[in-house]
Amino acid sequence: MSSIVFQNDSPNWWRSLDELAGSPRFRAFLEAEFPDAADPPGMNRRRWLQLMGASLALAGISGCRWERQEIAPFANRPLDRIPGTRQHFATAMPTGSTAHGIVVTTVDGRPIKIEGNPRHPQSLGATNVFAQAAVLELYDPDRSCHVYRRSGDKQSEGTWEQFTHFCQSHFGRLCELAGDGLCVLSQGNTSPTLDRIRHDLRTNFPSACWFEYEAISDDNEREGARIAFGKPLRAQLALDKAQVILCLDADLLGSHPASVRHARDFSMGREANAGQMNRLYAVESRYSLTGAAADHRLPLPSCQIPAFVGELEQTLAMMADSDHSVPTHQDQPPSQIEPFVRTVVRDLLANGGRSIVAIGSNQSPAAIAAVHRINARLGNEGKTVIYTQTMDPDRPAHLDAIKGLVEKIRHGNVNTLLILGGNPVYNAPADLAFAEAIAGIATTIHLSSYRNETSRQCSWHLPQAHFLETWGDARAWDGTYSILQPAIAPLYGGRSEIEVLAMILAASSREQVPDARMEDLVRRTFQQMAGDDPVVWDKTLRDGLLIDSAWKAESVPVPGGPVLEHVRPYQVPENGSLEITFWSDLSVGDGRFANSSWLQELPDPMTKITWDNAALVNPETACRLGIENETKITIQAGGREMTIPAYILPGQAPGSIGVALGYGRTAAGHVGGDTSLGIPPVGVDAYLLRTTDAMTILNGAHVKATGIPYRLATTQDHHAIDAVGQTGRDKKVAALIREANLDYYREHPDFAQHVEHHPPLKSLWEEHFFDGHRWGMSIDLSKCIGCGACIIACQAENNIPVVGKEQVLQGREMQWLRVDRYFRGPLGAPQVAHQPIPCQQCELAPCEQVCPVAATIHSQEGLNDMVYNRCVGTRYCANNCPYKVRRFNYLNYHKDLGKDGGEVSKMKYNPDVTIRCRGVMEKCTYCVQRIQTVKIEAKKRRLVIRDGEIQTACQQVCPSQAIHFGNIADQESTVSKKYSLDRAYALLSELNIRPRTVYLARISNPNPDLEKMPTKHASDHT
Amino acid sequence: MPAITHEDNMTQDPTRRAPLVLGEPDLASVTETVCRIAERPGATPAWYVAFVVSVALTLILFGSIGYLIIHGIGVLGNNSPVFWGFPIINFVFWIGIGHAGTLISAILFLFRQKWRTSINRFAEAMTIFAVACAGIFPAVHVGRIWVIYWLAPYPNQMALWPNFRSPLLWDVVAVSTYATVSLLFWYLGMIPDLATLRDRATTKPRSILYGLFALGWRGSASQWHRFETAYLLLAALATPLVLSVHSVVSFDFAVAQLPGWHTTIFPPYFVAGAIFSGCAMVVTLAVPARAIFGLKSLITMRHLDNMNKLILGTSMLVAYAYMVEWFMAWYGGNPKEIFAFVNRALGPYAWGYWLMVLCNVVVPQLFWFKKWRTTPWLMLIVAILVNVGMWMERFVIIVASLSRDFLPSSWGMFKPTSIDILMMIGSFGLFFTLFLLFCRFLPVVAMAEVKAVLPTRDPR
Repeated sequence: MSSIVFQNDSPNWWRSLDELAGSPRFRAFLEAEFPDAADPPGMNRRRWLQLMGASLALAGISGCRWERQEIAPFANRPLDRIPGTRQHFATAMPTGSTAHGIVVTTVDGRPIKIEGNPRHPQSLGATNVFAQAAVLELYDPDRSCHVYRRSGDKQSEGTWEQFTHFCQSHFGRLCELAGDGLCVLSQGNTSPTLDRIRHDLRTNFPSACWFEYEAISDDNEREGARIAFGKPLRAQLALDKAQVILCLDADLLGSHPASVRHARDFSMGREANAGQMNRLYAVESRYSLTGAAADHRLPLPSCQIPAFVGELEQTLAMMADSDHSVPTHQDQPPSQIEPFVRTVVRDLLANGGRSIVAIGSNQSPAAIAAVHRINARLGNEGKTVIYTQTMDPDRPAHLDAIKGLVEKIRHGNVNTLLILGGNPVYNAPADLAFAEAIAGIATTIHLSSYRNETSRQCSWHLPQAHFLETWGDARAWDGTYSILQPAIAPLYGGRSEIEVLAMILAASSREQVPDARMEDLVRRTFQQMAGDDPVVWDKTLRDGLLIDSAWKAESVPVPGGPVLEHVRPYQVPENGSLEITFWSDLSVGDGRFANSSWLQELPDPMTKITWDNAALVNPETACRLGIENETKITIQAGGREMTIPAYILPGQAPGSIGVALGYGRTAAGHVGGDTSLGIPPVGVDAYLLRTTDAMTILNGAHVKATGIPYRLATTQDHHAIDAVGQTGRDKKVAALIREANLDYYREHPDFAQHVEHHPPLKSLWEEHFFDGHRWGMSIDLSKCIGCGACIIACQAENNIPVVGKEQVLQGREMQWLRVDRYFRGPLGAPQVAHQPIPCQQCELAPCEQVCPVAATIHSQEGLNDMVYNRCVGTRYCANNCPYKVRRFNYLNYHKDLGKDGGEVSKMKYNPDVTIRCRGVMEKCTYCVQRIQTVKIEAKKRRLVIRDGEIQTACQQVCPSQAIHFGNIADQESTVSKKYSLDRAYALLSELNIRPRTVYLARISNPNPDLEKMPTKHASDHT
Repeated sequence: MPAITHEDNMTQDPTRRAPLVLGEPDLASVTETVCRIAERPGATPAWYVAFVVSVALTLILFGSIGYLIIHGIGVLGNNSPVFWGFPIINFVFWIGIGHAGTLISAILFLFRQKWRTSINRFAEAMTIFAVACAGIFPAVHVGRIWVIYWLAPYPNQMALWPNFRSPLLWDVVAVSTYATVSLLFWYLGMIPDLATLRDRATTKPRSILYGLFALGWRGSASQWHRFETAYLLLAALATPLVLSVHSVVSFDFAVAQLPGWHTTIFPPYFVAGAIFSGCAMVVTLAVPARAIFGLKSLITMRHLDNMNKLILGTSMLVAYAYMVEWFMAWYGGNPKEIFAFVNRALGPYAWGYWLMVLCNVVVPQLFWFKKWRTTPWLMLIVAILVNVGMWMERFVIIVASLSRDFLPSSWGMFKPTSIDILMMIGSFGLFFTLFLLFCRFLPVVAMAEVKAVLPTRDPR
């Protein structure tokens, strides 16, 4: 009966049966369903009962107000597909120079969630924020769904058939000319199949040129290795084996391509209870996640890092030779940084072979080469720093490639430019004027998943398939090979880079090749690599990686290269010589994720800014330049100018201004900005200042304060609050973030229990009785690095809406899990602590007591359940929640689902989680749907739930494994063990609310020698 | 009628009891003075102007509520952490206003304070209209108003019962009881006067309508006997409500664990504040009403003087409560509470706190001076400032406490939107609309009671 669909306009026939009986639709139904009664002679008792029965059954369908929907059953059910159950596929997410091993969860053929691949060495089950947000991108209605071709000045919609036709004639002709005038500009990629096709292409088009460009590049790293070793090598860092780590502008835990693995390895050395802790020093200009995790952090402008490296190398050489004795420079006044360097070097030397010195790829090749030498001298090579080959060792640097291409275009040597992915019009160095350059080319073809800035300048735009929609392959940072398998057919008819190249190849070979199957193209590459065995292919597909495909460690010669300039006194750059540092934003990357609303609304880990980028300025520098927080400043450098809001960030290096790339998109979409639709860009485009000679660090900038206020939407109060608030906050934070250094912790293992004392607590109410499972969570503050992956994982798992900048400004963000950030210490060089705050699931929950309609109640397993459809929305619960973790739907945040593209957007939702309506309170549930799924399965199979079988979304994604979840009634469970640690404490336990979430006190491992030293800091002003 | 000086009505000479009504009124002149207001064919221009303005504001109130219901609570300034804002402030404010009415009509009745008779009727009316204004706000501020009936304990197919641990539910019970008893008390007391209006009616509709509500009152001795018994019983019933309603309202805050809310002093403190603001509202209404409707001989300077003394007394009670809060915060030694109070006085909402102290503690001290107590326009200034101060008190308690609670990471500031402000102003419109209608069509002074206290009726 379910296949019969009645429209809204069907008569109200429960009132008038006769009318209905006469309607043709009902007659047809009756004939099919009750052949005997098809042509009744009159009304008898039996007939009447039939009609009544049928009408009652149908009343529910026709009477409801839902719109007509068609449901079609599968004629042939796909293998292993059971409606409503989940399937998991291992694949990889390629991003520029690396790929992340992931597992995609699909329900009824829709990918809804991405998890890390536990087998993949670069993931180990965790992911970064970008992989979590990939599902949103997949269903983004702004993704390109048409071929566009330019005729005259305007682009109009075309079809793939038109392009195929064009392709055959155009590339056939080009092939006859040996590809003369053909250039391909590709974005960074690690696909061996693409590589193979590229070589085939070279055969057909011998004169064609291939360029590769990435805005955020490892150029300097490759060049540095070339200086040191004579060939580009990649340094793989084994942070788990290191006792002492020194990061020089290297954000190993944040923006590094291997950050997920780094975070895991690093956290393994932060087991305070095991007694062994690594020590992390960070010297950097902007406050990175690595700096926040560091035991010692020295803010230093990026342009002075080479000098620091020089001093480091020199001190190391002297101290190593003179058996750790202390050298002094007689010829020049002692630098303030000298004692720091000496202490660090002593520590490094004491841990030779168990230390790492890492340097960021924004630094000069010479400095990077020097760091290779330092690691070699420390004996780290092959132990903690392992050198492997790198992708495509012969390719020219990205910067040289784009420069070469533009030069070639300017000389008129290019008539066809094929751009595979990327967005060079937006992110090519500003002085190259890439948009102008390509305007003169006869044929420009851009394959891209969005019709972005570049697409709009080209004569052809081709929609690119999402990585979840196609076959492909990729190598991870360590070389591990993964096959990309499609989890869904292309939603918008996109095609992959490989497919387009194969099309061109087919056109050039002038043969009528049937469309090559993507899978075969990938398989051919695989066969070259791993042989013809279908079993291996199947296993690789299932595992998500080819076993042992990581690059092997290479033995390297003694690193050479010129010694860096002699140590010079470090001076704070003056206005006019300020430095601007660029980096890939932690939310939107280099701009490619700018149309992801989840990522735009993800607060920056340090500034907590959403929906914007800002110029990060040191408090003292801001004071000197007259910059007020949240006002616009104008940055002038090299004849270019940019106006951007300033954010005063404690701990930013003085004289250095940090600006995140990836914002100010003018053709990103409805989220990231599209000026052609009148949607203003989000943030400010920092690429406008970025030229070929200042790709990572721009020196000689002049900053002018304009005083024009600009409100930045932060999710946490920034430091600029009144004195009363500041004092109050500082007093409170000591009890919230309990921390100690390792030595103190060893002496006072129970220090965390003595921060807050209170009289014995007694409940006013009859207490809950718990029998069976008791769910609990522990969060280790020693391990949390504040990356925010948990926030996006929670958002994806629990269908949490995005509210937009205006609502964030009003303090109405909806993320169930937030990561609080607190500064401690002097403004110039403060320490940072991160604290993830989900619902604490209090046993004596204050929210439950005050709800007038009992919409939030306690489950027998100790969960504080929220009954959405009982909620009236008095918001009393949220007022009484001391953690303020409850989120209220102030407006209908799902309005857009009714608009164009809403049907596709809906597909991303987790079917196990209700979409909350306007006026309803919501909050973290400990992923109750995951608990129930496992419980039901266990009950069906009559099994006991094993520890670790239930993972909350935040726990599963956490790269540093800071979060544990499980049954605290089971003494053997991991979470029980965490509960019993001496470091475990509950937030605000003095309120007698008995939270089920406990925190493990933050233990740091500072160097006692540096602790004694007075901390150098800029000033005390507030 | 001889010229009236306010001296006639004040206790200048301790050996002489001051008259309760001025002049030499007889029974007929009292009836005439009061009934004339309701019987006049056209109202005064002042009434029309006031009425048009009030109705306009009322329309704004309901327009804003409509907008609120269509779009959601997001059109208000509420956020996280300040989940409650203007609606709850307005609710507590209006509930407080109502208290003076019940105090005057019930408590003073039980204490045989005969001076109450001239002002109890419109003080009671004020109570009912204030409760009506108050009742709107908690209802419209919930996220899903279409299911608000779930707060009522009624048998239902979901087999769900409300949570009686929640002070919000106590509120529902307390306020609805209060509204019911006040309405009954007001109406019961009005029955003899309605009968008078019925008897004097010159047109059929008036006669029918007043007759309907007069419930067949004939003024027989047995009717008077029952009337007085019922009135006494209702007064006894209403008296505890004066104390209980605002105590229960204060539980909304006191039972929560938020620093700044979680204090045991709240019930008496709230009751004192409520009477304080209610008396101020009585003065605010009485001063213009007695001038406009020519009631100076009935609502005399003595009444106003007494009200002002009550304002002065309750102001000091409130000031005492403020001091005790500080003392307890310090004496209790709870750093969270200490912070809440320091933040209240010195934090971002300090302006609100000090405005509250100025209006509620400092300004009423002017009533130590007789000139201020007995000069209508001066006392009007003080009364209005007291109303401002009492509104600010609720603002400070609700917004300043919520904006900075336990975790500094979730601190935030509250900024009202235009809808917030329009709804607040609109509620005054509704209040005055109802009050103006009352003045126009109902006996504003309890004639029967006033007659009972006339000197001519005094056998001595």
